[in-house]
Amino acid sequence: MAKDRLAEVLTRWEAVIGLEIHTELTSLQTKMFCGCPVAFGGEPNTRVCPVCLGLPGALPVPNELAVEATVLAGLAIECDIARYSQFHRKNYFYPDMPKDYQISQYDVPFCLGGHLDVEVEGEGAKQRAERSGVTETDAGYVTRIGVTRIHLEEDTGKMIHVGGSEGRISGATHSLVDFNRAGTGLMELVSEPDIRTPEEARRFASALRLIFLSLGISDCSMEEGSMRVDANVSVRPWGQEAFGVKAEVKNMNSFKALHDALAHEIVRQADLLDGGGTVAQETRHWDVAAKKTSSLRGKEEAHDYRYFPEPDMVPFTFDDAYIDRVRTRMPELPTARRDRFMRDLGLPQHDATVLSGDLALAAFYEAAVAAAGVGRARQVSNWTLGEFSAFLNEAGLQADGAGIAPAALAALVALIEDGAISGKQAKDVFAEMAKGGGAPEAIVERLGLRQMSDAGELEAVVDRVLAANTGQVESYRAGKTGLMGYFVGAVMRETGGQANPAMVNELLARRLS
Amino acid sequence: MTIDLSSHSVRSIREGLLSKDFSAAELADAAFARIEAVDGDVHAFNATSKELAGAAAARIDAMVAAGETLPPLAGVPTAFKDNMNLVGTKTTCSSKILENYESVYDCTAVRLMLDAGAVPVGKCNMDEFAFGSSTENSAYGPTHNPWDLERVPGGSSGGSAAAVAAGEAVLSLGSDTGGSIRQPGALTGTVAMKPTYGRVSRYGVVAFASSLDQIGPFSKTVEECAETMNVICAHDVMDATSVSRPAEDFTAKLRDGVKGLRVGVVRDLLDLEGCDPKVRERVLESVESLEALGAEVGEVNLPSTQYGLPAYYIIGPAEASSNLARFDGIRYGHRAQDPTDVLDLYMRSRAEGFGPESIRRIMLGTYALSAGYYDAYYGQAQKVRTLIIRDFERAFADFDVLVTPTSPTTAFKIGEKAADPVSMYLSDVYTIPVNLAGIPAVSVPCGTVDGLPVGLQLMGTHFSESTLLRAAHAVEAASGFVPVPPMVAAL
Repeated sequence: MAKDRLAEVLTRWEAVIGLEIHTELTSLQTKMFCGCPVAFGGEPNTRVCPVCLGLPGALPVPNELAVEATVLAGLAIECDIARYSQFHRKNYFYPDMPKDYQISQYDVPFCLGGHLDVEVEGEGAKQRAERSGVTETDAGYVTRIGVTRIHLEEDTGKMIHVGGSEGRISGATHSLVDFNRAGTGLMELVSEPDIRTPEEARRFASALRLIFLSLGISDCSMEEGSMRVDANVSVRPWGQEAFGVKAEVKNMNSFKALHDALAHEIVRQADLLDGGGTVAQETRHWDVAAKKTSSLRGKEEAHDYRYFPEPDMVPFTFDDAYIDRVRTRMPELPTARRDRFMRDLGLPQHDATVLSGDLALAAFYEAAVAAAGVGRARQVSNWTLGEFSAFLNEAGLQADGAGIAPAALAALVALIEDGAISGKQAKDVFAEMAKGGGAPEAIVERLGLRQMSDAGELEAVVDRVLAANTGQVESYRAGKTGLMGYFVGAVMRETGGQANPAMVNELLARRLS
Repeated sequence: MTIDLSSHSVRSIREGLLSKDFSAAELADAAFARIEAVDGDVHAFNATSKELAGAAAARIDAMVAAGETLPPLAGVPTAFKDNMNLVGTKTTCSSKILENYESVYDCTAVRLMLDAGAVPVGKCNMDEFAFGSSTENSAYGPTHNPWDLERVPGGSSGGSAAAVAAGEAVLSLGSDTGGSIRQPGALTGTVAMKPTYGRVSRYGVVAFASSLDQIGPFSKTVEECAETMNVICAHDVMDATSVSRPAEDFTAKLRDGVKGLRVGVVRDLLDLEGCDPKVRERVLESVESLEALGAEVGEVNLPSTQYGLPAYYIIGPAEASSNLARFDGIRYGHRAQDPTDVLDLYMRSRAEGFGPESIRRIMLGTYALSAGYYDAYYGQAQKVRTLIIRDFERAFADFDVLVTPTSPTTAFKIGEKAADPVSMYLSDVYTIPVNLAGIPAVSVPCGTVDGLPVGLQLMGTHFSESTLLRAAHAVEAASGFVPVPPMVAAL
């Protein structure tokens, strides 16, 4: 099995992984250097103008919000923000590039030298055979992944190759270009080669995604390509300083694909070296169906991009006031939110992690707690992660589009906590709520689910039940305490399931003692 | 009645329209009649735009009829360099690679002129992509100097200059990257201004060297130059290098005289070996007349400008090599037939579409930006640029305006320098430092040598156009020279 193979390989070989993550700034209204709208798909070449088509004489004007988004991303992962920065032109010919140069950044990117602490627990944690430089935790370890830089550039158009197999260029009779995407702001983050396992890579990328989502700068969809992760990976014997020969792996369209492609690639390289062979420096393509990487192209001829400062724009100078102003836009980041859920709301780590890992769910939860009161935060969390999440999964919905208001869930929890209905009844009420049945109080009324909590009434039922079961009462008193459940069930039957179970238990215990 | 455009100014056209001596439509007809008559010889135009002119003239005539206030350039027949986009025209840059390229949007400066009432008569010939100083590097044949048809009009905006000089248009716009407005202005006896970098939007002018390009006007008089500057100097959100400044009336101080104006003669540039002594003489005579009018004249040196030419021939081609990459046969422009693959398509489309000077500059620029050469060439050239800026800063501490000839010689013969690119490059030795420093300069006619006009260049610090135009107006008035080419005088 692949997992075992990887674990075995990682006992002998240390993997060295660095990621390049391209994130389209899809949350912006407009492209990077023109006013064309940003959106996915659509009729080809409809969201274009002279600027993003690179027509003669058209000029780029930088989108200030895109620059701000990049600075914000840099601040979120503790980068140094450049005081002086500028765009450069990266010159190369390709049909998806309208100007045959890409406006990008070179030696003075907006953000330099940040880091992100990645927590690994569970099975993945074991993959890291030698945990030097990491911090052990109860569940696994924390490792710090360095970020070399974040820069801003423009995205290219999309090529569609016609006549070949699976839309690939080989065998194609002709190619079409769609420039709808051309000129969309694209943020490129380059990590240090600090990643040692596929699991760390997966967690690093997904933590970044969550941060970018929190910042509201991108929808970070790996399927639609608004977040694209490429990996440089090599292996070396444990203890060796020098890096091995690396391969660049592309086309990983999900976090699982990222993990699986890296696992495959590490094993492939180790097998090659174990067999006395060598690793070729090349770009490899992850084929998700075949579950393997294949060579896309050999070591590229040393490409000379002839970078030079973009003369159509003036350089940027950022002062403290600017950086501070951007910083005020910083929302609470996912790990801070998780810690707050644990600290202030008393949630266990697992629950806090799951809630803060889904922005819509976390927002729903916070609103529900606000309605229910902090004292019921645990119970609200149980319901949010329990019935509510199960319902979302089943229906394929997000928390903010489920048709159940946070206040309604809070009201449901209140009915339970106030003893008006039992937990079991509450599940029936929730099922009705999920079907659009209205407020929980109304559902309880409609279904006649009011819990019997009147002490006098319940006492009468209990006495009646005990009187009708004198034999069992004797057995109980003789030590067969397991009969308690029998008595409770009998009371429930008598009351049509509406008796308050806690009170029934208490009354029975008192009468039988 | 026949209207002679060469005898008309922006002001006289306005007066004529208001007094109903003629209509804007008649003016446009006169322009096209003149073009019909002389452009076979001059070849100032790549194309005329009769439909656009008709519509623009009709609009003005309707305003006259309705008694509305006329815009500042109402009815003025105006020509545009063929690197400026205008919907309804082709924008060829005098290149085969854009032979059939139809503009799909308007250049900001052109749009401002049309909104100000100018009537577009056509698009003017130029050196291909503005690479040249003689308008011989046009895929559509050279433009001839109205002063002597065997001579060049200068370049690269030679067509725009010749159109005004030959009376085919009253105003025109050109673009100036290293002297491409001022040098043809000098060689054709027209007033020609390169504004401060950022004064006029570059949006819609096909880029040569983005950090140097600037649009500016040609006219017969300094006053019309100021009137045109009033129209085209405006902040444009479509150009990130466009400067936002309060509007200025460049005509306001035109006649305030030069008393007390500190005029610096740039001695080391004047003494350059390649400068025709008679050209030098005319320029110094004009300086004397300024002194007589009360200007305080002194001398100054700009030692770093001697490196201007080599620095320019690094930076210009470097930026051009990148700016011209987009002409690749994929989306528009010339495409080679039956390509074997995309590389073949690129290479043959470009080899077939670009002329020899364009290919030379693209290769120069590509080389200068290559890994391992960048620091030695582009990096070094940028340092020279800084030194030149400092030279000017020092000079402007002592002087309000600096004076040189615009061009070291008068108009040369067609073909004379075509075989020797370096001697051609030298004709911009006085104009190039101005672009490298981003400052404004104006060329104003100051006399003739052997029957050919001489231009005097006035340079000022950033945004000093108003001062430059005031000094130019004094030169114009003092020289008493009315630059009328013989072919126009013969009318």
